[in-house]
Amino acid sequence: MNADAITYTESIGQFPSINRKSPAIKSPGLTKAEDAVLSRLRSGNEGAFDELVNKHHSTLIRMAMSYVADREVAEEVVQDTWMAVIESLDRFEGRSSLRTWICGILIHKAKDRGVREKRHTTFSAFESSDDDNEEAVDPSRFQQSGEWAGHWAFPPQPWDDRTPEKLLASQQAVNAMQQAIEALPATLKEVLILRDVEGIEAKEVCEMLKITETNLYVRLHRARERVRQAVETYLGGRTRAV
Amino acid sequence: MAQEASKSVDEEITCREVVEWTSAYLDEHVGEDRKQQIALHLAVCAGCETYVKQIAYVRDLVRLLPQVLDSPAESEQVRQAVAAKLRRQ
Repeated sequence: MNADAITYTESIGQFPSINRKSPAIKSPGLTKAEDAVLSRLRSGNEGAFDELVNKHHSTLIRMAMSYVADREVAEEVVQDTWMAVIESLDRFEGRSSLRTWICGILIHKAKDRGVREKRHTTFSAFESSDDDNEEAVDPSRFQQSGEWAGHWAFPPQPWDDRTPEKLLASQQAVNAMQQAIEALPATLKEVLILRDVEGIEAKEVCEMLKITETNLYVRLHRARERVRQAVETYLGGRTRAV
Repeated sequence: MAQEASKSVDEEITCREVVEWTSAYLDEHVGEDRKQQIALHLAVCAGCETYVKQIAYVRDLVRLLPQVLDSPAESEQVRQAVAAKLRRQ
């Protein structure tokens, strides 16, 4: 099991408290800025906490909404996360970055809450499933047999005049993309949010989610492909057979 | 680096396989041999070139979509709750 998972899940009551006056040695996972914030947090500096909230709160809300459907529930999860961060500060050993650690706590709480919420609601008709064995693109878009087996039968049509700027300027295109993202199952949404929306490096995303890089790219590609399909459908891009 | 599939990079890659590698390729998380193999395929396959371009657009667009944000009132509520906790410690 990843050491960072142990750091949070087993840290409550099991690791010895880190002495607040322990020497100011930078822990390996922390950036210099994070190390400074951590020292100030441990000395009870409220300004340091304000900085941390300003920096990460929006990210945590977006991440929480990958796991729970309701904004209000997401806010509760994030508030619980911040409380847990303060309670566990002494036990944080700095093996990962502060951001990875905080996000790890959030994911743990959000998943737990998401499971509890699902027990009381019916499965949403709008939430799609994710099957590990599915390919990202419908196999029927490729030649199934013959000399050209595996090559495009129905290739995508170019979006030549639809630059990213033009797509963003179209409310319908934006709605189509946002709906596609909303419909993603949690396992795909979380990687899209962390990697593409938040711009977090692949290695750190893998640490947060406790997955391999291979898993990350399989999931990320599926997520991106579903958004691509939404744009293709919006553009009326029914493909032509080659 | 994303784990390489069992197929050797010496064998010709199909469009179906290029599609599955696209995100790792765009983020430069494939080995050098696989990268060259895909690049060569893209040079001769308009369908895959279009596909890769569209996935790159999506990757870049998603970040620019209007995002869920926290509200100032909510952040303030969090700050006050935690500040109270800090004072009790």
